Amino acid sequence: MPSNTASSSSAPAGSADSSASRTKSKRPKYSKFTQQELPACKPILTPGWVVLTFLVISVIFIPLGVVSLFASQDVVEIVDRYDNDCVPTPARANKVAYIQGVSDKSCNRTLVVPKKMKQPIYVYYQLENFYQNHRRYVKSRSDSQLRSVKDENQIDACKPEDDVNGRPIVPCGLIAWSLFNDTYALSKNNQPLTVNKRGIAWKSDREHKFGKNVFPKNFQEGNITGGGRLDANKSLSEQEDLIVWMRTAALPTFRKLYGKIESDLEKGDTIHVTLLNNYNTYSFDGKKKLVLSTTSWLGGKNDFLGIAYLTVGGICFFLALVFTIMYLVKPRRLGDPTYLSWNRVPGGGR
Amino acid sequence: MKRFVYINDDEASKELCCDNRMSNTKYTLWNFFPKNLMEQFSRFMNQYFLLIACLQLWSLITPVNPASTWGPLIFIFAVSASKEAWDDYHRYLSDKKANEREVWIVKHGIKKHIQAQDIQVGNIVWLRENDEVPCDLVLLGTSDPQGVCYVEGVIECPIPDKDIRRFDANMRLFPPFIDNDVCSLTIKNTLLQSCYLRNTEWACGVSVYTGNQTKLGMCRGVAEPKITAMDAMIDKLTGAIFVFQIVVVMVLGVAGNVWKDTEARKQWYVQYPEEAPWYELLVIPLRFELLCSIMIPISIKVSLDLVKGLYAKFIEWDVEMVDQETGTASYAANTAISEDLGQVEYILTDKTGTLTDNKMIFRRCCIGGIFYGNENGDALKDTQLLDAITSGSTDVIRFLTVMAICNTVIPVRSKAGDIIYKAQSQDEDALVIAAAKLHMVFVGKNANLLELMFNGEMIRYEVLEILEFTSDRKRMSVVVKDSQNGKIILLSKGADESILPSARTGQQTRTIAEAVEHYAQLGLRTLCLAWRELEEDEYLEWSVKFKEANSVLVDREWRIAEVCQLLEHDLYILGVTAIEDRLQDGVPETIETLRKAGINFWMLTGDKQNTAIQIALSCNFISPEPKGQLLLIDGKTEEDVSRSLERVLLTMRTTTSEPKDVAFVIDGWALEIALKHHRKDFVELAILSKTAICCRVTPSQKAQLVEILKSCDYRTLAIGDGGNDVRMIQQADIGVGISGREGLQAARAADYSIGRFRFLKRLILVHGRYSYNRTAFLSQYSFYKSLLICFIQIFFSFISGVSGTSLFNSVSLMAYNVFYTSVPVLVSVIDKDLSETTVMQHPQILFYCQAGRLLNPSTFAGWFGRSLFHAIVVFVITIHAYAYEKSEMEELGMVALSGCIWLQAFVVAQETNSFTVLQHLSIWGNLVGFYVLNFLFSAIPSSGMYTIMFRLCSQPSYWITMFLIVGAGMGPIFALKYYRYTYRPSKINILQQAERMGGPILTLGNIETQPRTIEKDVSPVSIRSPVYEPLLSESPNPTRRSFGPGAPFEFFQSQSRLSSSSGYTRNCKDN
Repeated sequence: MPSNTASSSSAPAGSADSSASRTKSKRPKYSKFTQQELPACKPILTPGWVVLTFLVISVIFIPLGVVSLFASQDVVEIVDRYDNDCVPTPARANKVAYIQGVSDKSCNRTLVVPKKMKQPIYVYYQLENFYQNHRRYVKSRSDSQLRSVKDENQIDACKPEDDVNGRPIVPCGLIAWSLFNDTYALSKNNQPLTVNKRGIAWKSDREHKFGKNVFPKNFQEGNITGGGRLDANKSLSEQEDLIVWMRTAALPTFRKLYGKIESDLEKGDTIHVTLLNNYNTYSFDGKKKLVLSTTSWLGGKNDFLGIAYLTVGGICFFLALVFTIMYLVKPRRLGDPTYLSWNRVPGGGR
Repeated sequence: MKRFVYINDDEASKELCCDNRMSNTKYTLWNFFPKNLMEQFSRFMNQYFLLIACLQLWSLITPVNPASTWGPLIFIFAVSASKEAWDDYHRYLSDKKANEREVWIVKHGIKKHIQAQDIQVGNIVWLRENDEVPCDLVLLGTSDPQGVCYVEGVIECPIPDKDIRRFDANMRLFPPFIDNDVCSLTIKNTLLQSCYLRNTEWACGVSVYTGNQTKLGMCRGVAEPKITAMDAMIDKLTGAIFVFQIVVVMVLGVAGNVWKDTEARKQWYVQYPEEAPWYELLVIPLRFELLCSIMIPISIKVSLDLVKGLYAKFIEWDVEMVDQETGTASYAANTAISEDLGQVEYILTDKTGTLTDNKMIFRRCCIGGIFYGNENGDALKDTQLLDAITSGSTDVIRFLTVMAICNTVIPVRSKAGDIIYKAQSQDEDALVIAAAKLHMVFVGKNANLLELMFNGEMIRYEVLEILEFTSDRKRMSVVVKDSQNGKIILLSKGADESILPSARTGQQTRTIAEAVEHYAQLGLRTLCLAWRELEEDEYLEWSVKFKEANSVLVDREWRIAEVCQLLEHDLYILGVTAIEDRLQDGVPETIETLRKAGINFWMLTGDKQNTAIQIALSCNFISPEPKGQLLLIDGKTEEDVSRSLERVLLTMRTTTSEPKDVAFVIDGWALEIALKHHRKDFVELAILSKTAICCRVTPSQKAQLVEILKSCDYRTLAIGDGGNDVRMIQQADIGVGISGREGLQAARAADYSIGRFRFLKRLILVHGRYSYNRTAFLSQYSFYKSLLICFIQIFFSFISGVSGTSLFNSVSLMAYNVFYTSVPVLVSVIDKDLSETTVMQHPQILFYCQAGRLLNPSTFAGWFGRSLFHAIVVFVITIHAYAYEKSEMEELGMVALSGCIWLQAFVVAQETNSFTVLQHLSIWGNLVGFYVLNFLFSAIPSSGMYTIMFRLCSQPSYWITMFLIVGAGMGPIFALKYYRYTYRPSKINILQQAERMGGPILTLGNIETQPRTIEKDVSPVSIRSPVYEPLLSESPNPTRRSFGPGAPFEFFQSQSRLSSSSGYTRNCKDN
């Protein structure tokens, strides 16, 4: 106690003592939480539980995978790529010039139904290498303008397709401007096949996102014409092709609903498609495909989920097996104190 | 600079000093926002986030709504600001309470009630018992009869400073009272602000320093915030992520520009203009910068602050750390450094009051060469001594007189009629009480008149002077006049080294020195008592000098010491007292446990060497032979010390390979020399040595030692209880104060204050360790979740033309860090990997924290890899499951986001060691909360997400996709964890298994009894290697057991001169 005394011999120090202890003598309240003693479940990874978990996962995943795969297999899908074939042979050297020219763009395709297709049969167009998710593109729209007439002038985000000589374009923006405009006319055994184009867009979009009293204005009247044109007498909420198009796709390969066929197609039926090949995908090597597809509970034809489930289930089963074997071959006592050595060896260790 | 205080004269002092308004607040109402913002923006991270937020205002480059950054930024700023405001408001309230407290002042002879804040310098303040002192006062009088009331005068005192030990002032009273007589004032004449008046009915004093100019007010400064090792590591990792982010941004920026020029120009629907503005090249990199800015979690600071606050609360709430005797709970003054507790490598501890109880009991004495109390260990019951007293042996009676009155003790008669002693020093208290038991009862102090009752006979002494104790002089004396015969006597007591040299020529001090040595070996504190009769002339002559020295304003302490020296010579040594200072409960166990945990202990004490060594032995500080070995460094000259240091170093180097408990012992003098001339060697020694005993060290040397250890990158914890430990406590990474008998100075300066030393075990092993583990998880997890979402954005950019499109919408991005992922992780602060009992039984497990094995670049790489893996899983599954007709932007974004949220929940669940109700609630409740929130967003027609979540949840493919993501994401991680857990278990895992398989104590109890439980390797290289290198190894090393019992016990190796040396040279003893 060298200089302790020196400090404590000054009167204030001593007296400060009791003051503070008085203020601090509040005992903490006891509760399970404050003492960090809430009842807890502390699971440990015993081999049994782990193997069981993996087994259970595989037992769930493998059947799910099989079911998904079956669902996907049940879907009948006809895919027809027509972007190349629909360009007349002489024009193929310069497809861009062809598509931008004024010559007749109609084209006939024949599809054969491989299996019975139950209605409703969805007609999609599929674009590939088309970046609807491009930053410049995806933002180029004005939701408020689409919704109500009074926001017609809200076109800030729409550049460069915002106005024509100072008059706002409705609907503005690159997305609307580049509206897909190939058309398909289907006939089965020379009988026209009705493609219902109503109700292809989301109900919520029709009712809330696209106004009933918003009509196209100054659309495609700029210097360059992009894609399709719109009927200026139909309100936007009725322009379902536009609504579908404006639900931008997140991937460069995507399908958009063109219409629905509300009758069954039998195996071997031939379907003639008369299409107008208007849309330019040639300048960027994009593919265009016409797709007729039924659906299952999982959606369209997509084997991915089934295969992925089988793979994960298989891996889990394999892991369960491996862990069982490891346990049998080289059993380890959990919490074996012989592994608990506190030695530190310089340069040693694993 | 001096200040003149005119007592009771408002006009004279008004203009020169402030009023007594105290203000501890950091802000005022007006400057709160600017000042708080300035403070928050002084952090680099906040500046960075502000820059990002500002960049987002540029709509050309922002991938999402600026709200996604501004929202969290404002939220986080608001949380920090409210915390500050709350703290400051409480400071304001307590100030207000103190300022508006009513106090009495005496003005023109009339007592008046005023508010404390209105006290002016020069006012006379009147206090009653238990009142708090409102400002620094010079004491004028007390209820003690000798009190005199001065009315007018001037006090000449230094300008306000923060040194609470010094107050060198003079008081001159105006006529007609005492004619211009200068009266010296020292710190002993003052009552400092915030102290309490005790044991006195009333006191009055004149205020000299007021408001924020008081000693306390000047001391109060903004303490420099301590940075924990963990915070430093987190900062480092943040820096690494920052660099990574910049690289990613640059790569993607270049790729984006290239893609734009080669591909995007062909895509007519994008309409890239032919002519670009000058900044065109910057646009894409900047977009990516914004996209990637979430890589650094904006919420980490707030989360960490929150959990740190909770750690501190857990410490304060802990009922097992409440001192049952006084009911004092532990207190965490610094809420930010709990993790450091788990990483302590060195503990520097004071001895008295820290390891010991500071409850002194007089045990033995040696009077005139005769040992009393040696047989039964209690001199009070030694019949030989009692006989000597009844027979009236002069030496014995003188000895008892010195014991009874050579002190500053005040006897107070309680209501029951008993005498209670008020002593400032525990030693004095012990001596007076012992004297009373030996029939020399100190019954009363009446002004300067002391009354002693000896065998029913009243003896009166008049105190002429008190020669105060200082740590330099290491002794104190009083000059008294025997009222019976008028003889003037000097009574001295002090450390042997300061008393024995002043012994009268001719007196044999050898037996005394041997007695001191003997007692010290028993771990007792010794004091030598001495006596000398003074001639009247000698005294008068000296008295004048003493008075002169007392009124010097410069170097007063030194001058006084010099004058005292003139009187304290030719002493007749009466004998030696031996006082026992008992060890606190649980000290040996605590030290043993903590040493097992790999913490090195240094004892820094002012006691003499032998006492220190004995205490060290008895509290497991050092092992007894044959395992222990003590190396002594001493010497009076530089050469001696250097030689001794060399030798010790050599021994240290050679014995590091042996499983020996080597400690070095150094005294203050040698330390001074070693630090001055051989700093490098000493530092090496410090690194080599696990244990050290430093005796006779001064407060500043204690601080220097802390500094040395810190300079070697060790995490240090200093623990002490007294004012002399304050500097060391403030210097150390963690300062722990014991709120004990010696006052609260240490506890106030400390980061943590605990009631008893043994709580240190719990503080470090339980609270420190849990805090470290929890923060390690929380911080890495924060990075993981931010990286996860960021990686997905990066992957998405590769399929969106490297144009910087955000897959997620603004709302999701904003809510992701702040709402969706923060709740479960915050609850991880109540996670416990091992139970407290297990940790206490296996303190070695602390290695993991000390070595920083739970948070370091390699563990971080694990989390980084996990987030990369999970991002791939989520991204690949999402884009394949939601391909073709389902690839709608909003839907795909939400599927990916839900995938992330599901994985989060399972990752937290997998990393949780103990599930309480709260954990289940937060993990699964958070998942439910995510859907509820998103249903809400989906119900707003104007939001981009309108109906999205309803659509998704009604699709079977959505749920199938979620299960797939969880299965594919967690399966491999779970398998890997199981594999490690079972086949490559860490010690923590083994203990977890043992604990939960039941009977942990049975299976593991024998581990501690295994002969070599810990052997911390101390080769300097391995210790100084980066902390994340594995310090533990699995393989036992039996070859090092070669050290057998045959080796000689070298307690004091070759240098030993303690027991063998005949020359009595060194020895320290202080009061």
